[in-house]
Amino acid sequence: MLSADIKDISILHGKDEKVLLSGMSFVLADSSINIILGKNGTGKSTLIRALTGLLNKNFYKVSGKVEYNGSDLLTLPESELLKIRRSKIGYVFQDAINSLDPLKNINFYFKRFKNEPEADALLNGFLLPGRADLFRLYPYELSGGMAQRLLLILTLLRHPQILILDEPTSGIDTPISNLILLKLKEFVKDNDKSILLVTQDLQFAANAGDRIAYLADGKLSDFYSNEMFFNDIPIPGLKNFLLAYNQLI
Amino acid sequence: MNSSFLEVKNLSFSVKGKTDDIPILKDISFKLEKEKTLGIAGESGSGKTTLGKLLAGILRPVAGEIIFNHNIKQDNKKIHPVQILFQNNGEILNPFRKVSDMVDEAVRLRSGKKEMVNIRNDLFRSLNFAEDLWGRKGSELSGGEQQRAALARLLAAEPELLILDEPFSAQDPESQLNLLNLFLKIKNEFNITLICIAHNLRILRKLCDEIIIIYRGRQVEKGNTEDIFNSPKHPYTKFLINSEDYNLSYDELKSVF
Repeated sequence: MLSADIKDISILHGKDEKVLLSGMSFVLADSSINIILGKNGTGKSTLIRALTGLLNKNFYKVSGKVEYNGSDLLTLPESELLKIRRSKIGYVFQDAINSLDPLKNINFYFKRFKNEPEADALLNGFLLPGRADLFRLYPYELSGGMAQRLLLILTLLRHPQILILDEPTSGIDTPISNLILLKLKEFVKDNDKSILLVTQDLQFAANAGDRIAYLADGKLSDFYSNEMFFNDIPIPGLKNFLLAYNQLI
Repeated sequence: MNSSFLEVKNLSFSVKGKTDDIPILKDISFKLEKEKTLGIAGESGSGKTTLGKLLAGILRPVAGEIIFNHNIKQDNKKIHPVQILFQNNGEILNPFRKVSDMVDEAVRLRSGKKEMVNIRNDLFRSLNFAEDLWGRKGSELSGGEQQRAALARLLAAEPELLILDEPFSAQDPESQLNLLNLFLKIKNEFNITLICIAHNLRILRKLCDEIIIIYRGRQVEKGNTEDIFNSPKHPYTKFLINSEDYNLSYDELKSVF
């Protein structure tokens, strides 16, 4: 059973301790895709990094608790956190190509995973070329959509319990976004799995999100069911966001 | 006398591979009338940006023709009838120079020094580029502000054709809407022909008179925007339209990739 309880997180930045985000609490629901929607620059990426101590402590101060399977991640030593990020909580960051070392080919990233049939099945499932063609490529030879899928596969090969994704559809065309959506739904079918995803892609959120919250002006709203979220919930700022979107479609 | 502003005939482009040439675009043909807006859609890697670069004269085609009926005299090498707004628009701004200086430079080439400041200021105002930003350097602007400044720089050159390469990508809905309204304004106020490259079909529908769909380097469908949306003919066009509603099954995706 998954237990991830985020309690009263605040994030301060810089010498003058500017408050970026304050008093955020939420529970990551089991077998569901939890989405935080928000505009550019609202601090979505900062928020997900804060949860497992990924923010540079010289610049950021994080208070509150992130209770995961009985321990508070924010007080764990770095070595323990590293273990958890390696095996339990997997991240896929925005701008996937730049997460890869430009001087190493794709084979470099896969050779540490000894279970070849599993990797091959994932490549196939994500509609990518097989290892013979793919593994000799360098990051500059990948399209954004290929890189995004590869990073997702590399994360899935570690069998995380929680998957944290930052703008998985940014700069990616819609057929690939469809595929990513299907694969994320597949991931959370299991009981002890959960996804936390931050995005400004409302169309994706509406189709993927089991529970959705809105982040604006340093405050995170409650999480609502997909249906409730799009039905006149009085969340500050959300109305304009939805209005702009409706004018675009 | 040809009536179209732009005519593209059997345009092809390829790059050299280890043994053979790798085709990127094959047999692209279309006509575009003056002051119309054309959308180019297709998945990433389909050759959309390459087509934009060919039209802008940055790349040379391996076959085919691009014919412009523009008004610039042939001996004037300082000005070009086509300007292109690249995806990473911050890159066309010098991070260390004032935005107003960069725009002035382009205005001066076209209109001389006398009217320079007036033209520049009008340009900034019509792009809703706030006055307190005019004196800032390229690096002191946010992404959205950079995009407006870059547009001012491009429009200062009075292009007859402006190409926009994925201008809406990686933006939230409010920024996308602002930008869409800005392009609609440019379309109305600047007597300009526009080509917009995007993978987001919904926005192209709001902006463009005509659309070309590119799939694996080939033009699979072209026509009036509403016709394409209301009765798409090519299976790939249908696939793209359905993908925007997240209606594709795994098998449908598999059949295309």
